[in-house]
Amino acid sequence: MELLLIILYLFALYRPRLILPALAAHAVHLVSSAMQYGRIPLIGMHDTLGFLAFCIGIVYVISGWKRKRDLFSYVTIPVLLLLLAGSIASPEIPGALPPVLRTIWFELHVILSFISYALFAIGSVFGILSFCRKEERAEINQYRSLLFGYVLFSIAVIFGGIWAYLAWGTYWLWTPKELWTTIIWIFYSLYLHARLVRGWTGPKVIWMGIIGFVIVMFTYAGVGRLMKSSHEF
Amino acid sequence: MGITISPCSLPYPVVEMKNFFLSLKTTVWTLFGLVCLFFIGSYQMPMHREIFSQMNEGPLIHWAEGTAAKNVWQTWWFFSAIAGLVLLTINTIVCSLQTIKAKWSHSDFLLRTSPQVTHIGFLFIMIGHLLGAGWGYKLSGMMSEDSFVRLPENRGLYLQRIFVQTDTAGFMQDWSAEASLYENNDLVKSGTLGPNKPLFYKGTGIYVKSLSFETGPVALLLIAKDPGAVWALAGGILFMLGSVTLLVLKWNNA
Repeated sequence: MELLLIILYLFALYRPRLILPALAAHAVHLVSSAMQYGRIPLIGMHDTLGFLAFCIGIVYVISGWKRKRDLFSYVTIPVLLLLLAGSIASPEIPGALPPVLRTIWFELHVILSFISYALFAIGSVFGILSFCRKEERAEINQYRSLLFGYVLFSIAVIFGGIWAYLAWGTYWLWTPKELWTTIIWIFYSLYLHARLVRGWTGPKVIWMGIIGFVIVMFTYAGVGRLMKSSHEF
Repeated sequence: MGITISPCSLPYPVVEMKNFFLSLKTTVWTLFGLVCLFFIGSYQMPMHREIFSQMNEGPLIHWAEGTAAKNVWQTWWFFSAIAGLVLLTINTIVCSLQTIKAKWSHSDFLLRTSPQVTHIGFLFIMIGHLLGAGWGYKLSGMMSEDSFVRLPENRGLYLQRIFVQTDTAGFMQDWSAEASLYENNDLVKSGTLGPNKPLFYKGTGIYVKSLSFETGPVALLLIAKDPGAVWALAGGILFMLGSVTLLVLKWNNA
């Protein structure tokens, strides 16, 4: 199924709206996985990389609805395909959710986190467009994407805190993963404030929007592998 | 650049200090400094596990006064981050007060208030962390079925039974534990504990963290009191309200 998805997503390189069949097939795949295991398919790298690719596809089609084939597709679709390939390469974790993950707070925390990651990804693509294509609206689109991502990310962190408090009696721990989550949150707070400072607008802030997604990807995929944490990913 | 104060009404150092705390550049550089400090911290923590492993075990202030103060070469980033957060808190308060003091009009009421609501949410979260760091406690220990343990504040906990649900392969699917809490020898609360289902009484939570079956069913219990949790929750709600409102208002006027 995942190989079929890769082929379908490739059509989006020809025309952005052709991503719709791929997204529909991906949605069917997610629902069937959920029904098979009786849980949301968001456990481990296999599930989450696939879900992140799906979220990026959704944000891509909404923000690029009126666009023709251009750099926006040439940057976004390969990133999406790379994530999907990573999902295929990662082992699947079968079975039901462990008892501690069976709560709406976990589901909301993870879903909102990955939607915000997708918005951060598209924000960085708009940053690249701003530099390479000198598009006038690219900086504004980057700001909108990152502001929306920041709000969802903040809500995801708050919901994660509520879940952690109910599960383990603490809403925040001093671990590398939580520190990196705080780094993301502070970094985008910095972006939003820096945009208001004279002398920081323009290239400096656009670069920050691009670098932000690198930090997000390291927090998501790198910290769990390199540093011991309460999070699996 | 932020708002500047006229130097005619206040002594020069006071004006300079006020302008410093009112400046958005102070916000930006403090946030940048915090990013750098947390980055360093995330690398220091796994390298010096013997120092940082106790960080989450009890009130943070006890760790800071004891272990952290004795190992400043490894924990300097932590103390610097606390100083950065204090600076950011003062900066947030001063900037928000200045905005509230400025002239208001009906047309930009929400646009002016929503960032301040977000800022107040942030301040509440900081207060929550401060209260939790200074006045909270955590206790943990193993309890078997039909056993009783004494707790702080003249309380006691009786663990009646542990229920475990397994699948056909013998893997644990779900579990619960019946417990009763006593205060001054009077029963004050009883209920069923489970995953994500603690028993709360006067701000103290009783959690079953894990189960062991080597010598019969035994539960690892955690008793946690965090007086800052309510503040942090209120801060989180305010932060969400303020930021969602700001998003809606800024979306079309970006």
